[in-house]
Amino acid sequence: MSIERTKSKQKVKEPKTKITWKEIKRQKVLLFWAAIMVVYGVVFYYLPLAGWTMAFQNYKPRLGIFHSQFVGWDKFRTLFSDMTFIRVIRNTLAMGVINLVVTFITAIVFAILLNEIKSKGGKKVVQTISYLPHFLSWIIVTGILHDMLSGGGIVNELLLNFHIISQPINFFAHPGYFWPIVAFANVWKETGWNAIIYLAAITSIDPSLYEAAAIDGAGRWAKIKHVTLPGIKPTIIILLLMNVGNVLNAGFEVQYLLGNGLVQKVSQTIDIYVLKWGISQGDFAIGTAAGIFKSFVSIILIVIANQIAKRNGEEQLF
Amino acid sequence: MKRKRMLSALLVVAMAATMFAGCGNKGGSNSSTQGGKAANDGDIKEFTAFFAVPGSEINDDNEVQQIIAEKTGVKVKETWLTGQTAEEAIGTLVAGDEYPDFICGGNGMPQLYDAGALVALDDYIDKYPNIKNYFTEQEWDQLRQDDGHIYWIPQFSNIKGEEKTCTHNDEAFWIQARVLEWANYPEIKTMDDYFKLIEDYNAANPTMEDGTENIPYTILCEDWRYFCLENAPQFLDGYPNDGSCMVDPDTLKVMDYNTSDTAVKYFKKLNEEYQKGIVDPESFTQTYDEYIAKLSSGRVLGMIDQWWDFAFSAGDAIKSAGLDAQGCDYIPVPVTIDGRKNQWHNSGGVLNSGDGLAITKDCDDVEAALQFVDDLLSEEIHNLRFWGVEGEDYQVGDDGLFYRTKEQRAKAAETDYKASHACSYSYFPQYDGTCDDGLNATKPSGQAKEFFDGLNEDVKKAFQAYGVETYVEMLGTNEAPGPWYPMWSFSNNFTTDTEGGMAWTKIGEVKHEQLPQVVMAKDFDSAWKTYMDAYNACNPDAFLSELQAELDKRMKDAAKYE
Repeated sequence: MSIERTKSKQKVKEPKTKITWKEIKRQKVLLFWAAIMVVYGVVFYYLPLAGWTMAFQNYKPRLGIFHSQFVGWDKFRTLFSDMTFIRVIRNTLAMGVINLVVTFITAIVFAILLNEIKSKGGKKVVQTISYLPHFLSWIIVTGILHDMLSGGGIVNELLLNFHIISQPINFFAHPGYFWPIVAFANVWKETGWNAIIYLAAITSIDPSLYEAAAIDGAGRWAKIKHVTLPGIKPTIIILLLMNVGNVLNAGFEVQYLLGNGLVQKVSQTIDIYVLKWGISQGDFAIGTAAGIFKSFVSIILIVIANQIAKRNGEEQLF
Repeated sequence: MKRKRMLSALLVVAMAATMFAGCGNKGGSNSSTQGGKAANDGDIKEFTAFFAVPGSEINDDNEVQQIIAEKTGVKVKETWLTGQTAEEAIGTLVAGDEYPDFICGGNGMPQLYDAGALVALDDYIDKYPNIKNYFTEQEWDQLRQDDGHIYWIPQFSNIKGEEKTCTHNDEAFWIQARVLEWANYPEIKTMDDYFKLIEDYNAANPTMEDGTENIPYTILCEDWRYFCLENAPQFLDGYPNDGSCMVDPDTLKVMDYNTSDTAVKYFKKLNEEYQKGIVDPESFTQTYDEYIAKLSSGRVLGMIDQWWDFAFSAGDAIKSAGLDAQGCDYIPVPVTIDGRKNQWHNSGGVLNSGDGLAITKDCDDVEAALQFVDDLLSEEIHNLRFWGVEGEDYQVGDDGLFYRTKEQRAKAAETDYKASHACSYSYFPQYDGTCDDGLNATKPSGQAKEFFDGLNEDVKKAFQAYGVETYVEMLGTNEAPGPWYPMWSFSNNFTTDTEGGMAWTKIGEVKHEQLPQVVMAKDFDSAWKTYMDAYNACNPDAFLSELQAELDKRMKDAAKYE
């Protein structure tokens, strides 16, 4: 509610409060708390950025940041002439977009379907069970997947019993199956959790709108289309914007744990590349350069998405 | 409605905050390996140690560890690699610039050296007689890095007195005792014999006694353990394990085993066996844990592996499940491409100069740490580490020979007992061979009678049928081929700083991806051609010439002592 008040105040364009000692004294508690957050932000978000200088050095841990040799854009040049890195970007983008689209749609659809359930108890049970997988760590999820999809796993057994296939399929040996498996894992793990926020948005829709729609002769389908969806549109847009910035965080654990030699061409993401070259091979400069590239692209993506939202007169992040 | 909309916006923000908080935490979790530093527990000094190999932690109140602590005044809390590669774990430590007191970095050793994390030991060594005597001058010199200092002490394959080795700790073709028994213990000399025997047995006995289907042949391919697939050609050609290449002992030239005729024959054979259903279709996607679970279930008839990679996990599991009664234990067979003599097993101990136990710059009392290493090498403590407590873990016969009763042997293999009672400090320097009494082996696994008595019945029967008493005799033994041996102590430590190291990394990637495809391909010849094209694009010559240079250097260094 306080946010609402400040927002409405802005609209009236209240004259700016003059900064005087008296005013500072009056707001000293607020200032104190604000200062803590500023310090926190500087220490944990801005100071670590100094480490980015590593990307422009031939960084050696023995010499440290101050004595390593400065090499300019060399490391970036190496990075972009490395075919593996180009492939890694492709994988990250592809899996990021697939995950974004699939988890986004399933969460909204799931929330709407759940909302249509009339029995309160049933709804609660389904909702609770559906978001439980969110609390499992990836190592467990990938373990389950490995078991289910293995040669003697339940999926192959079912397919064999129904005579859909004659030979067990080794799902993890085909590069073509890898992205769908990752997308499926994400959907299974996160759909219920992501749906919570849409459910909250749906409950905030004024019931009188549904009544009015019903009087106008709207059926279930029409109510969803004309009341529910427009009602949660602001939430959808905000979440979409935030997730667009996260596209390059397509994942690390799931690809790392499910990948193997046969599918490495499609399984490695930027994060795995950073781990491999930065940490395992000890080339911190290359790792940092790849990380900078990733942050850079993420910022561009989120700014573009925000601009598009602004043009269309929708909610924005900033 | 607007208010409620704001509420949902607030929720969005809250959720975003939790997401970012989640991301922020990731960086800080690498300090878990550090732990207490020299905490005072009475007057017992406590050190920390990290070993970049998988291992099992022992209990905090471990009995033998306590006895050793009372005798030496030092206790070491050991932690091991979990779910990472050695390079990742070491890279994380280097990035955080915080280290345990003792460290063994495995293949990550050069990273630690490059980061300046290790304490040079040469000034200290003379003060500790047991450490000093652990190596000869020549061996100590082999351990010097390019700055002329010694930073680590290799822990293994150091033989005191007469050599007493009963197990072949290295790579071999293994086959289950029940297969050999079924065929009445035939001579298995060639790769074709080996696979034919497995095929025949599996045709006659497709299942185990309880009806579970056999897995005739499986290949472990996970990450660095894919040596089980890739390096067999050197063994099939009869060469010892140089790891990354073969070395012609006459011309002293490095040869590539990836492109040899034997390599083509071997992968072609695997391809045929794969099409016949003999090679486990899950070979290339299974994890190490899944592989060990398969071996432990007794279903796998044969495989290539290093003894240490399966014997202590799957071997013990087979025994405790009683599967040895079905003959599920593994026997090594000396298989080469055409029946020529193999040189897999080397006597005399092989110095791996590439890694070892090191002390880091974060250790606040280097002298106490080294004193502890010195104490661990003394006979009394050494016996405690590997034999245990007299009367409790082993008996001494009237002739002075150590032996274990059946119960003691069974107990020694129990996981719980290992954690609560035994403490071998297994990644600290240790001796193989004979104790100072000239009678007993330094470890139970070297004590011939104790070893043979402790074997499972199926292994005993097989050994008796072949007229041998140990694993080593199954394969025959050889002198180490030359002073360069083994080249893997060099190639394991390749970094991408050099052209050859870069080539080695790329070759690894290509082999990880292409070799499984070669084995699974419907058309072997075209798959092999694709593989060779990708292989040659990695600049293997740079890699081979760096190996050659190292070989020449090692020969030159060795010549100084002749």
